[in-house]
Amino acid sequence: MRIHITSIVVLWASAAFAQQTVAPTPETAGLARGENRGDYNVVDSVEVGYRIASIAGSLPQYRSSVNYGNGVRLLASYLSINSRDGHGKLFDQIVITTQGLGNDPYESATFRVQKNKLYRYDGSWRLNDYFNPGLTSDGATGQHFLNTRYQLQDHDLTLFPDSNLKFFVGYTGSSQTGPAFSSDLLFDSRGAIYPVFADVKRVRHEFRVGNEFRVLGIRVNWMHGWDNFREDTGATLTTAGIPGIVTAVPGLTAYRNASPYHGNSPYWRVALFAERNWISLNGRFTYTSGGRNFVVDESAAGPDRFGSAVNRQVVTYGTGGRPVATGNLNVSVFATSKLTLTNSTAIYNVRTQGDSYFAQYDNSTQSVDYFNFNYLGIRTFANEASLNYQFSPLAGAFAGYQYSNRRISSVEQVTLSGSADTIRYDQTNQLQVGRLGFRLRPLKPLSILVSGEIGRNDQPFTPVADRNYHALNGRVQYRTKTLLLAGGAETLYNANSVALSAYSSQSRKYFASGSWTPRSWVSFDGTFSRQHLYTVGGIAYFTNFNLVQGEQSTYLSNINSVVVGARFAIRDRVDVYAGFTRVRDAGDGRATVYGSAAGSTLAAFQAAQTFPILFDSPMLRASVRITPKLRWNVGYQYYGYRQDFYRDQGFRANTGYTSVTFSF
Amino acid sequence: MLLPAAALAATDGYVGSAACKTCHPNVWSTFNRNPHYKSIASGDKPPAQTGCEGCHGPGKAHIDAGGGKATIIAFSQLSPEKALDNCLRCHTQTMSRANIRRSDHTLNGVACNTCHSIHGSKAPRALLAKPQTELCYQCHADVRAQFSMPFKHRVNEGFMNCTDCHNPHGASQPTWRAGGRPRMVDTALANEEPCLKCHTEKRGPFVFEHAAVRVDGCEGCHMPHGSANSRLLRKPVVFTLCLECHNGAGVFGRQGAGVPTQSGSHNMADPKFQNCTACHVRVHGSNADVTLLR
Repeated sequence: MRIHITSIVVLWASAAFAQQTVAPTPETAGLARGENRGDYNVVDSVEVGYRIASIAGSLPQYRSSVNYGNGVRLLASYLSINSRDGHGKLFDQIVITTQGLGNDPYESATFRVQKNKLYRYDGSWRLNDYFNPGLTSDGATGQHFLNTRYQLQDHDLTLFPDSNLKFFVGYTGSSQTGPAFSSDLLFDSRGAIYPVFADVKRVRHEFRVGNEFRVLGIRVNWMHGWDNFREDTGATLTTAGIPGIVTAVPGLTAYRNASPYHGNSPYWRVALFAERNWISLNGRFTYTSGGRNFVVDESAAGPDRFGSAVNRQVVTYGTGGRPVATGNLNVSVFATSKLTLTNSTAIYNVRTQGDSYFAQYDNSTQSVDYFNFNYLGIRTFANEASLNYQFSPLAGAFAGYQYSNRRISSVEQVTLSGSADTIRYDQTNQLQVGRLGFRLRPLKPLSILVSGEIGRNDQPFTPVADRNYHALNGRVQYRTKTLLLAGGAETLYNANSVALSAYSSQSRKYFASGSWTPRSWVSFDGTFSRQHLYTVGGIAYFTNFNLVQGEQSTYLSNINSVVVGARFAIRDRVDVYAGFTRVRDAGDGRATVYGSAAGSTLAAFQAAQTFPILFDSPMLRASVRITPKLRWNVGYQYYGYRQDFYRDQGFRANTGYTSVTFSF
Repeated sequence: MLLPAAALAATDGYVGSAACKTCHPNVWSTFNRNPHYKSIASGDKPPAQTGCEGCHGPGKAHIDAGGGKATIIAFSQLSPEKALDNCLRCHTQTMSRANIRRSDHTLNGVACNTCHSIHGSKAPRALLAKPQTELCYQCHADVRAQFSMPFKHRVNEGFMNCTDCHNPHGASQPTWRAGGRPRMVDTALANEEPCLKCHTEKRGPFVFEHAAVRVDGCEGCHMPHGSANSRLLRKPVVFTLCLECHNGAGVFGRQGAGVPTQSGSHNMADPKFQNCTACHVRVHGSNADVTLLR
């Protein structure tokens, strides 16, 4: 009896750490060691409860960032059935877990069944009720309203999982469905933009088969897969005109868009790996031949912006292809018991090419047609040589050098009325990176890590990419059975500067964290983190057809976050958890949205230089053991979100739940 | 003095797991649920790969001494390197762990038993010492803060796990962008960023690729863990993000002549031009329009 009580207490203590959503309850009902039923041992726990949520302020913003609602939920469940001697008749293990079933915005279920030596099946299903408010007020501009459900499922069956000859069959599927703004835009006589509503339909299926065998001491694992993607999102204007929009021009009388986008990406992957006393090597080679076919058929009828009646149809069709060949070869040589030499070589070759035929018909007369051909090829060769040396049990070091050579080729060709205009360009980028790190363990529970990296790229692709950068990382950790203290700092500075575009970014992070379990019935956990990001980049833009240059876009973010929690167990019957999370972006300290005129004379840029917010989330939860197989749980969590300069997008949400957890 | 695993394996002195349960009944009572129990159930593994002694080495000396950590392989006493060596005697046989010896975790002294608890696992899979996110947050406290941002991937909510994107046992070089960083990110279908495993509609191929996405990856514009800004963008509004590249300067871009500036007809003093992606909706790539309009 003593054993299982101890197990339960340890389970509670660990699971209660760092909880950031109040439900499901981590404490489980029943015996941690399970119950024997015939030849099997069964552990099960089911939590059923009711969530409540009361939201004040911006409901769309709440749905975007938290999204818990009211109602009955199967908050969590866990079931494991294990054969007691490893010789079950049909299976040796079944594990089922669920979370949030019912109507939570984040639902998942996993299923594993296996019979030793014969088969293993792993399945999972997940659902995310995704809501993007597409807010249009100043604080978070966007016209990308989405109210969709994203579902993902994975299934993998392995035959003879413990042998040298294995077979794999798998399936991955995902879908996104629901209403959203489409990419179709309507304009009124002022040029204002109004997206048309659409019904999102995206589906992906991936089937795969594979095999692993051993030959000459080398394991060979190959897999062939077929990845199919289909998008059939379409938009239709069901009401003439643009409702609610006052313009001098009557609206459209009809509009329809159908843009099916389908394709397959069959792939091959071969991996080799072997390990001996003095050498370890592995290689991974893939080839994927992706292709997509598409048609965009868009027709509209009604007056144009100048009042003339037109019928117009635009048809675009073509194919896109992207064959990708990649290879990785990693070799580690254990020269001595203290020295490991590693060389890693990677090759990546991708060629994206496609053609797009565009035709526009006006009152049934073909008025414009042209043909596009685009090619973007990226070939990267990278090699990294590194060594890892353990001077003594107290100290070790590693160092490495990486050279990358990347060639980017592009062709952009437009053919209009038989006349082709082609732009071809090749460029080569070279990146050299050096790394150095030390690890010290002056005391058994104390570890100190320091590492640095410096990189130089002779021609980065974009003004914000890594060019001259260096990163430093330091970390200290003290760890015993009951106490964990850690602290660290990380900096990443990048300068990518040319005439008219002096981009630089400075990122600094600091953190301190600790957890302490002085007794089995009490534990504390906390993290403080400070993340500083400052970027400045040269910009060029137009105002009233005048090109403005020489200005800068700056952004300063100073994020302090605190996550703390404490758990108490009272008389082995009641578990109480209290936690608090605060994220505060203090911005640059300005009191008003526009601040000073530094960087840019345009008010919009001044308002985008910093974005102070405050996000608070305290929680309190109690779980009471009624019987060894039944618990009653209750919890409360508050979510408060505030944007300092755009108060209309803040919210305050009082959420909570009550539930029972039982095992049977 | 601790004996190295190889030395122990080479000596006799195996007594079988049944002898261990006499003094370690709490470990034995739930061991049938442990994946390592397969080694006992199979009945065909050599002693050096069977049950308790498969990991802890021959038990005879330990029993003769009446216990003690010095007479057997006790993982709590092993250095990270030795612990890794011991586990990899069997666990090199999986492709997902093929890069573990050169992974950043290994280079920084993180060994198997830092994350896995063979006898006290609190997770339904992989014998993790804690639920996965809490385990990772233990060292990556800054990431924990990022997932507490108002806009984030739903890791704390249980919809995702760290391993949906990362391979804690080490990954191949991220060839989708030049450079070694990020180092522990797993790859999708064709050595692509793992973002595309879920965001399938952004994978393409597209006739008109947004080349920066293919060359420098998603994190050029997005912060994958969490952000104070909507859609995990690096900036609070989209036009600053776009215009820092689209400034026409330098030798950047597909044609090495600078990334093209916006059209002169775009009056940035007019709010409707400040939300670039309201019109350039297909910002990740388009099949119908070179300027990513539809």
